[in-house]
Amino acid sequence: MRLYEHEGKELLRRQGIPVPDGTVVTDPDVVDWLPDDFFPAMVKAQALVGGRGKAGGIVRVENQSAARRETERILKSRIHGYEVPKVLIERAMRPERELYLAVTIDRTRHEFVIIGGSLGGMDVEQASREHPEAFHRIWLRPDQEVEPYMGRELAHRLGFRGEMLNKLSDVVVRLFRAFKAVEGKLCEINPLGVLPDGNLVALDARFNIDTDALFRHPELKELGIEGARHEEGELTPNEQRARAAGFPYVELDGDIGTFPGGAGFGIAAIDLIHIYGGHAANFMDSGGAPSQDKLRSMLGLLLGDPKVKVIFGARFGGISRCDDWAKAVVQFVQENRPKKPFIMRMTGNMEEEGRRILEEAKAKDPELFRNIKVYPYSTPIEEVVKEAIEVAKGKGVV
Amino acid sequence: MAILIKKGTSTMVQGITGKNATTHTKFMLDYGTKIVAGTTPGKAGQSVHGVPVYDTVQEAMDNHPDIVVSSVWVPARATRDAVLETIEAGVRTIVVITETIPIHDMLLVRKRAKERGTTIVGGNTSGVISPGRSMVGMLPVRTFTPGRVGVVTRSGSLLYYVANYLDLAGMGESTAVGLGGDPVVGTNFEDILRMFESDPETDCVVMHGEIGGVLEEVAAPYIKQMRKPVIAYITGRFAPAGKRMGHAGALIEGDMGTAESKLKALRAGGAHIAETISDIPRLVKELT
Repeated sequence: MRLYEHEGKELLRRQGIPVPDGTVVTDPDVVDWLPDDFFPAMVKAQALVGGRGKAGGIVRVENQSAARRETERILKSRIHGYEVPKVLIERAMRPERELYLAVTIDRTRHEFVIIGGSLGGMDVEQASREHPEAFHRIWLRPDQEVEPYMGRELAHRLGFRGEMLNKLSDVVVRLFRAFKAVEGKLCEINPLGVLPDGNLVALDARFNIDTDALFRHPELKELGIEGARHEEGELTPNEQRARAAGFPYVELDGDIGTFPGGAGFGIAAIDLIHIYGGHAANFMDSGGAPSQDKLRSMLGLLLGDPKVKVIFGARFGGISRCDDWAKAVVQFVQENRPKKPFIMRMTGNMEEEGRRILEEAKAKDPELFRNIKVYPYSTPIEEVVKEAIEVAKGKGVV
Repeated sequence: MAILIKKGTSTMVQGITGKNATTHTKFMLDYGTKIVAGTTPGKAGQSVHGVPVYDTVQEAMDNHPDIVVSSVWVPARATRDAVLETIEAGVRTIVVITETIPIHDMLLVRKRAKERGTTIVGGNTSGVISPGRSMVGMLPVRTFTPGRVGVVTRSGSLLYYVANYLDLAGMGESTAVGLGGDPVVGTNFEDILRMFESDPETDCVVMHGEIGGVLEEVAAPYIKQMRKPVIAYITGRFAPAGKRMGHAGALIEGDMGTAESKLKALRAGGAHIAETISDIPRLVKELT
């Protein structure tokens, strides 16, 4: 889960890494309270998406009236389609040079890695391709603590000597501690500015933390950092409803709603629908052993989404049992009397019981279940995908 | 032979008194899995479907020194503790069913397991099955048939669908393994491919990979050395644009992680690519 820049900077500040003086603003009137000597300043859109600068979301202002004007403009704007709920206004810094510094997880070695680059700023990926010699890495085993010598080693390799070597080394150690403290997936300072007096300052902060570890970080909750965000951008209304109901949901632009069971088949279903000529409306994941409430809210989202023409469903019961799934589907259909067709398949653990539940409901009200098809084990899943595509195109049985 | 679990392998269930673990203990026993012990701290002396419950893994091992496999069903926040306890007690193979384990915990657990030579499958795996012999996890057993195809998947549901297609085509598995869907898992493709390569009851291997991570790419060089054919199925080719983790991801992993990079690496390693699940039984027939 990605954090806003200002949240990341607060976490850096708490570890003793210098950041520019600044304030977070959601109301342009607040800008009038900034003293004249605060300027020149940077007005920075706070959005959970990259490329803010190139999209006009980061500007330098020389005085209060310009700050107010830009704050109003940015708060009303969208960055790559994402709303900007707040801006960060900071004292402008004049760095002599810009460095790159990050800590992340090396998923090939299964270790932590500190990356330092003597070429920071925008286009750092291009810089790393053109000048790989400017980037250096220090790996730490998962049970290893960061030691000052590691910071010195990295600073030395980046070409720093004398007092600067110690200053950079100190920031390296503190950044690693910040990363460990929040259980990060990524903590990146880009750029890390070198000021004329030799001091270092974090001019940006990008944190991505492990949502699964949030339960043991009350200090993050106090900062307003809770488990309800994408890696990039905020959630769409459907995605918010899904999050509130406790399942991941990604909005897509097709017309086949997918109710796929686990995440793995959810991803595969999007591929299969595409390969056989259709378009998926969403990705979602019930997780293991979902409650019937959760299953019904998953179906409710698809039923309520006007772009969805047909609901493709699949349950291969492992930890998630077919009988629970069938009960949820039956109750949902009885309560909502959907007009949209359901083209589904159910097999796996407790399949016989699940099928009995479906058949009994159907016998009671055949008309209601006329458009609800649930194929068994012997019908390969790709045949069910193909039928859903035909139905979405207005062909087929319904 | 088969890999990881065989007929009569003595196994243990950690967190056995939980709702899901209790249900699936019954399913495992019904399938013929030899479960000799369960653990839940504070509940020693109880029994679940006739399986005695112990407070600690060491106590279970003292009473049943033949235990070589354990499955872990404890909550995510207790998983680091439970797995470290089991590694220390000397269990050889640990199948972690629990999902959403904190990543930093899993990195530590993985490291400790490597040092002790313990195999960890998962977290967030649906389990391991050697059809007709033993099943550890929560797999829908009907779809798995004894046969000579080794199957290893990132996703649990894809494990079921691949087995389903093999079954409908009259084929079956030597062993089927879910690596687990969490971001960091204990065992990678190469570990399992090595086991299948040396298993006399496996003729070829089907692997399913998906976008994200680098497990598929790093397995490719080993596939090139294998004698047995490998069929690879990669999902996520049409998934919404990836969520890149800042520049550091690119600086460490380059362009790895996408479906294209996985397919390219696997092709270079000599794997046979299945476009859809239904391609898999066809390729198995052609190659064996």
